Amino acid sequence: MIRKEYIEELDKLKRDVLKMGKLAKDAASNSIKALIERDAELAKRVLNENAVIDDLEFDIENRCMKLIALQQPMAVDLRVIGTCIKIITDFDRISDVGGDIAEVVLRVGDEPFVKPLIDIPRMAEITQKMIDDCLEAFSKENIEILEDFSKRDDIVDALYDQIRRELITIMIERPKTISNASHLTFVALYLERIGDHTCNIASRIIYMVTGVKKKLG
Amino acid sequence: MLNQKLEMFIDDRYDDFQDNSEEHGSNKVIVRNVNVYYGDIQAIIDVSMIIKEKTVTALIGPSGCGKSTLLRCFDRMNDEITGCRTKGKIIWRGNDILDKKVDPVALRHKVGMVFQKPNPFPKSIYDNVAFGPKIHGIKGKRLDDIVENSIKQAALWEDVKDRLGESALKLSGGQQQRLCIARTLAIDPEVILFDEPCSALDPISTAKIEALIRELKKDYTIIIVTHNMQQAARISDCTAFFLMGELIEFDKTSKIFENPKDKKTEDYITGRFG
Ligand SMILES: Nc1ncnc2c1ncn2[C@@H]1O[C@H](COP(=O)(O)OP(=O)(O)OP(=O)(O)O)[C@@H](O)[C@H]1O
Ligand SMILES: [Mg+2]
Repeated sequence: MIRKEYIEELDKLKRDVLKMGKLAKDAASNSIKALIERDAELAKRVLNENAVIDDLEFDIENRCMKLIALQQPMAVDLRVIGTCIKIITDFDRISDVGGDIAEVVLRVGDEPFVKPLIDIPRMAEITQKMIDDCLEAFSKENIEILEDFSKRDDIVDALYDQIRRELITIMIERPKTISNASHLTFVALYLERIGDHTCNIASRIIYMVTGVKKKLG
Repeated sequence: MLNQKLEMFIDDRYDDFQDNSEEHGSNKVIVRNVNVYYGDIQAIIDVSMIIKEKTVTALIGPSGCGKSTLLRCFDRMNDEITGCRTKGKIIWRGNDILDKKVDPVALRHKVGMVFQKPNPFPKSIYDNVAFGPKIHGIKGKRLDDIVENSIKQAALWEDVKDRLGESALKLSGGQQQRLCIARTLAIDPEVILFDEPCSALDPISTAKIEALIRELKKDYTIIIVTHNMQQAARISDCTAFFLMGELIEFDKTSKIFENPKDKKTEDYITGRFG
C-alpha cells in the first residue's frame, strides 16, 4: 500500500468528525435533559463544551484544506473530505442549538412551564435518534438507516407546528404566560432545526457513500 | 466483458454514442476491438471506445499499461515499429484507418501528434511551422499566413513574432512545446494526439498548454495521454482508464474522478494502487 500516511490521516479525520458529532449529540441531549430536570449545572456544562466543539470544527476544517491542497484527493477520498467539511458545520449548529436550549434553562430557572412537557421530549427523542443514525451511517458507511429521514423530519415539523399552535392559543388566552410560553416555542423551534441539520448531514453521507447528491427533508 | 462494459456505458451515459453508424461524414472516432502486439507480447487487449468529435479524451493508467501504444494506433505510428502488429478497427469518417489500404502519410496530415519532449527541427521558428504546408507546395503569402495563424493559435505569437528567423532551439522548453503544437496545427489536422505534452514543463507553461488545449477543442478532436490526474480532470471531457493493456473504465471525466464504477479505477486514482 502506498500513500500510507495520507490514508491514516483520512482515517483520523473521519474519527474526529465522529467525535465532533458525538459531542454535538451530547449538547442536544444534555440540554433537553437539563430542561426537563431543571438542572442549571448541566446547562452550564453544555455551554462550556460549545467552545471545545468550536475548536474541533476549526481543527478539522484546517486538516481538510491541507489534505485537499497537499494530497489532491480523488474519487471517494474527495467525497469523504467534502462531506467532512460540510457536515461539521451542521454538527456545530446542532451544538449551538444545544447551547440555545441551555440558555433557556438558565433563564426560566425554577418557574413552572405553562404546559407539561410531552411533545418537546418526543421531538427531542426523534431528533437525537436522527443524530445517532447519522453517526452510525457515517462510521459504517451504511446509508440504509437514513432512508426514512424525510419522513422523520416531517413528523418533527408536524410536532413543531402543533406545539407552536398550542402555545399561541395559551398566550392569547393568558397574556401573562407569554414570556414562559415563548421560551418553550423557541425550544420547539430549536429542535425542529436539529431535524433540518440531521437531514443535511444525512444527504451528505449518502453522497459520500454513493456519489449521488440528493436533498432530504 | 469489455464490450459489455462499453455497451453499458453507451446505454446509460451518452445517447448520441449509440449512433454507431459508420457512414461518411461521421466524425467520431470509433475504436473497435483493437489489439496490439509487440512480437508475442500483447500490449493492447480488445479495446473498444467511441471518441466524440471536438472533445478532449484523456487516457490514463500506470506506466506500461499501453497508453502510448493505443495513441500511436490513431496515426498508424505503430507501423514504423518493427514487430508491432495491430488487429481490429478504428473507424473514422467512414474509413477504417487501420486498413492497410489507408495511406499512413496522408492519415498523418489529418491526425497530428505532439510528443512528451518538445522536438523542434534544428531550423528557424518559421521553417519549423512552414515545414508541413511547404511539402504540400504552399508558398508565399499563403504560407506566411498559415505560419502566423498557427503560431497565434498555439499562443506563441507574442513570444516570437519579432524573431521568426531565429533557431527554434533557442526557445525555452515551454515555448518549444507550443511551437511543436503550432507545427502540428499548420498541417491542418482534425485530430490531435498529445502524449504527455506537459511532463517536461513548469507550471506556467503547463497552464498555457492546458488553456491552449481547451481552446483547440472548439475545432479539433483531442486525445491526450497524461500522468497528471488533476490535469486530466481539468482539461478532458471523457477519461479512459487502462490497466495492463485493458480498458477498465471509460466515462465522463467528472464521473471517473468523483465516483468511478470500477474498484480498480478508484484504487488507481486515489493512489491506493499497488
Ligand atoms: N517498441 C516496443 N517494443 C516492444 N515492446 C514495447 C514497445 N513499446 C512499448 N512496448 C511495451 O508495450 C507495453 C505498453 O507500453 P506503452 O509505451 O504503450 O505504455 P504507456 O502506458 O505509454 O507507459 P508510460 O506511461 O510509461 O509512457 C509495455 O509493456 C511496453 O514494454
Ligand atoms: Mg507512454
